[in-house]
Amino acid sequence: MKTYAKIAIGAGLATALLSSTAMAQQTVTVMAYSGLFQERYTKAVVEPFMKANPGIKVEYFPMPNSAQMLGNLRAQKAAPQADVVIMDVSVSKAATDEKLLTKIDEKNTPNVADLYPSARIADVDGVAVTFDNLVLLYNTDTVKETPKSWMDLADKKFAGKVAIPGMPDIQGLSLVLITDKARGGTDYLKNVDKGIAALGEIAPNVQTWEPKPEVYVTIISGQATVGAGWNARAQVNIDTSNGKLGATLPKEGSVFQINTINQVAGGPGKDAGAKFINYALSPEAQKAFTEAMFYAPTNAKAQISDAAIARTAVKSMDKVIPVDWIALAKVREPIMDQWRRKVIPLSR
Amino acid sequence: MSAVAPAAAMPAPLPAAERSSGLPLVVLLLLPIALVNAFGFLAPVFNLLRMSFYESQATGAMVEVYTFATWASVLRDSFYAELILNSILVSLGITLMTLVCSYPIALYLHRSSGTWRTILLVLVISPLLTSAVVRTYGWVAILSENGLVNNALGAIGIAPLKLMFNKTGVVIGLTEILMPYMILALLAGFGRLDPRVEEAASTLGAPPWKVFRHIVVPLTMPGIALGSLLCFVLAVSSFITPKLLGGGRVFLLATEIYDQAIVTLNWPLAATLSILVLVIFGGALVLYTRALRAIM
Amino acid sequence: MTSRTDAPEGFLSIRSLTKRYGDFVAVDNLDLEVPKGELVAFLGPSGCGKTTSLRMIAGLVPATSGRIVVGGGDLTEVATHRRDMGLVFQSYALFPHMSVARNVAFGLEMRKVDKGEIAKRVKEAIALVHLTGKEEHRPAQLSGGQQQRVALARALVIRPSILLLDEPLSNLDAKLRDEMRNEIRDIQKRLGITAIFVTHDQVEALTMCDKVVVMNQGRLEQLGTPVELYETPKTAFVASFVGRSNRLTAVARNGAAEFAGQRIAAPAGLEGPVQVMIRPHRLGLSPASPAAADPARQQVTGTVARAIFAGDILQYDVDVGGQIVSVELATRGGESVIEPGRPVTLSWRPQDIFIYGAAA
Repeated sequence: MKTYAKIAIGAGLATALLSSTAMAQQTVTVMAYSGLFQERYTKAVVEPFMKANPGIKVEYFPMPNSAQMLGNLRAQKAAPQADVVIMDVSVSKAATDEKLLTKIDEKNTPNVADLYPSARIADVDGVAVTFDNLVLLYNTDTVKETPKSWMDLADKKFAGKVAIPGMPDIQGLSLVLITDKARGGTDYLKNVDKGIAALGEIAPNVQTWEPKPEVYVTIISGQATVGAGWNARAQVNIDTSNGKLGATLPKEGSVFQINTINQVAGGPGKDAGAKFINYALSPEAQKAFTEAMFYAPTNAKAQISDAAIARTAVKSMDKVIPVDWIALAKVREPIMDQWRRKVIPLSR
Repeated sequence: MSAVAPAAAMPAPLPAAERSSGLPLVVLLLLPIALVNAFGFLAPVFNLLRMSFYESQATGAMVEVYTFATWASVLRDSFYAELILNSILVSLGITLMTLVCSYPIALYLHRSSGTWRTILLVLVISPLLTSAVVRTYGWVAILSENGLVNNALGAIGIAPLKLMFNKTGVVIGLTEILMPYMILALLAGFGRLDPRVEEAASTLGAPPWKVFRHIVVPLTMPGIALGSLLCFVLAVSSFITPKLLGGGRVFLLATEIYDQAIVTLNWPLAATLSILVLVIFGGALVLYTRALRAIM
Repeated sequence: MTSRTDAPEGFLSIRSLTKRYGDFVAVDNLDLEVPKGELVAFLGPSGCGKTTSLRMIAGLVPATSGRIVVGGGDLTEVATHRRDMGLVFQSYALFPHMSVARNVAFGLEMRKVDKGEIAKRVKEAIALVHLTGKEEHRPAQLSGGQQQRVALARALVIRPSILLLDEPLSNLDAKLRDEMRNEIRDIQKRLGITAIFVTHDQVEALTMCDKVVVMNQGRLEQLGTPVELYETPKTAFVASFVGRSNRLTAVARNGAAEFAGQRIAAPAGLEGPVQVMIRPHRLGLSPASPAAADPARQQVTGTVARAIFAGDILQYDVDVGGQIVSVELATRGGESVIEPGRPVTLSWRPQDIFIYGAAA
């Protein structure tokens, strides 16, 4: 515990400052993604929640990625400052194993009952709050015909114009899983040789495996013309770029990325934290956020506008390949090894 | 080389008696930085060392149980050996490029004087006022397929070069980013360079290039050694520029540590690799002190 | 002041050498002929152009105009490293990273001299400056005097056509300076090498050199042997810079200088204000009694202002019509000191007094 004392003091100080203004009220500190996510989530979920619960103040504690949220939880293990954390499912599995979280179930959070079955993950304390899926991205100025297959990325006409966030990022990993399945792979936990071979065919076309600052910007700017990215951010970027970015779900299908919402073990806001989680899983919050940022909802009862639902993977669930991210984590190292030896060298 | 031994014994600055009388004050003056280093450097390094022996589960969960598993896997896996070798070679290459590009500038600065020197010095240091990230994006604009260089090449009918998203890009970017450090270190180490000594060599019949080779280079060796050490260390530990300009193709220790800590969540592995970086730094430091002793 | 036509063509021949930095003239139309084997001093105050002249000869500073000819060959446009000159710097300028032996060998290595020959000549050169046994020392391990000897050996070992010495003794303490002075002169004579010696110290110039060039504000004031400079200084500057002089003002009229109401013969052609120079120890002093006057000597009268007995000499300050004249008399024993306030007569041989137009 002392290991993280320094970070804890810093983070604790910051949180103490934030919460000092709300002494009379109950305060819930929500740790979640920074940037676009923070902006949209605050408007769609946090503000309506505070309006409905005048006695509870929500502090949004932004973090750039799940790993840093875990780092923060580790540092604050002795005296947690956050109550709720929204993070990638595989990271929340690690947090669960490290006993940093409290189990969420129907007893303390009634809305859990209405979640899709896939939103409840075995051996993870949290539950799914958003589903996202990998999509093929393209620049609509240069790519007139919408690509139909992931393997279009291997087309010679895109030589040097492909941007894929490569492994260890899970977008690269997802692409291995999708192509492996499409080429007849049966059990990604045993081997993904076919997927690695497919990526090896795409590799010579790849301009960068590390599009910065984000793959969407890289494609909108025309530096690259096709690539892979997450649907939700792609949809928002389609709007903000006035359609310069295109996103499509290729015939081989896609996989879900799951963000879970978790209650921090021993968080200061206790009941209020559980209350916020219940609200975040409610049909109205799920509807609002899907319509704001096009993450697919995890609550089956959420009544989402057709326009918004059409821009998620909800209507093409048959194309979504089920992935057990928790089991996959155990074989990630060997896949990474293959990636380094059989994919990267082909992209030089 | 028998002259090395007496020369090495020389830099004893004060007789023992004078030194011991100044000791309490020296200790007092060093105390604050010693404390800062103890808390800000030694303690974290110790923690890092400890963390490298923690167990990391496949899910990324870290268990505070001591194990040699991480060290064993790093030492056994040829990937990490390649990674270390690659990091050292790329950093040495960057250091050499930085030296070659900075040396003439530093020499010119050393020989200029007055306002002109001040202006030049400010120009040299000014890149340090902007972050490496901003400057790296500047290089993206210059090196990309539609960038400045390739546009210019295209204009004279040369096919575009792959200058970015590979080792070339990392070397170019880091060379420019490290140049101010190299120039300042070189300047700091140019103290022994005396124009009269160069003139003496030329009156003795040395043409300019021989004056450079036999006089200027040996006399500026302390600066070269210092700058090289500094830039090597900075090159080994830099990860933003390799991330932005490497395109995911350039595997270096620093980027791997970043990936393990931030993406894969394997903190024990990240800690182990960090310790290895420290070991490399230690090696560089030993080489530096040896080199310094040989040239003084 | 000097014409170059009267000088024979020398081994080193400097013709109308000029260096300008913008409007500033560092060296102004310098003409000089140095015969083979002579040691010539460039003497003058700092900023007089002596070092700049030396550096132009060495090729370290390009000449604005004029020629530098050595042994009949024009070197004006030749690069420093091809001029074959040995230069000894005030700061020694040894190579700090090389041993004494390697310092000395450097010039020979640059000339691609055979290795065995280098070893032999380095040994000789080090022996010449009495540093045998110090071959493997670094410069920083040597004293100032030893370093200067290394610098000398390094310059001599290449057997330069001309040895250039730029204030080589200024950084040494007084005792070492005397020692090195003799040593440099001895070596120069023994090797018969043509040498230029830049100094601001008249004692060095007078005691070591065959000829002295006195320089002032970039111009050559006078060239001559030490005796010539001392006994017949051609300008007031030379008279005051070489040796010590009383410097008085007077007014010249009709072939005589009027000096506090008294008249002294003056060179024809001088009119108006003039400077009168006379060396303190060339003056005689006696209690005022015209009867004792020697007709072969010129004389004026004055009043003792101050009298100091300094052992070897008796020193008087004499007030002559408002100007103070210093007199130094060697003590022989038994003389009585003349009290301040007493009238005295100053006398001198006519050849000991120098009268210059005020402009000079």
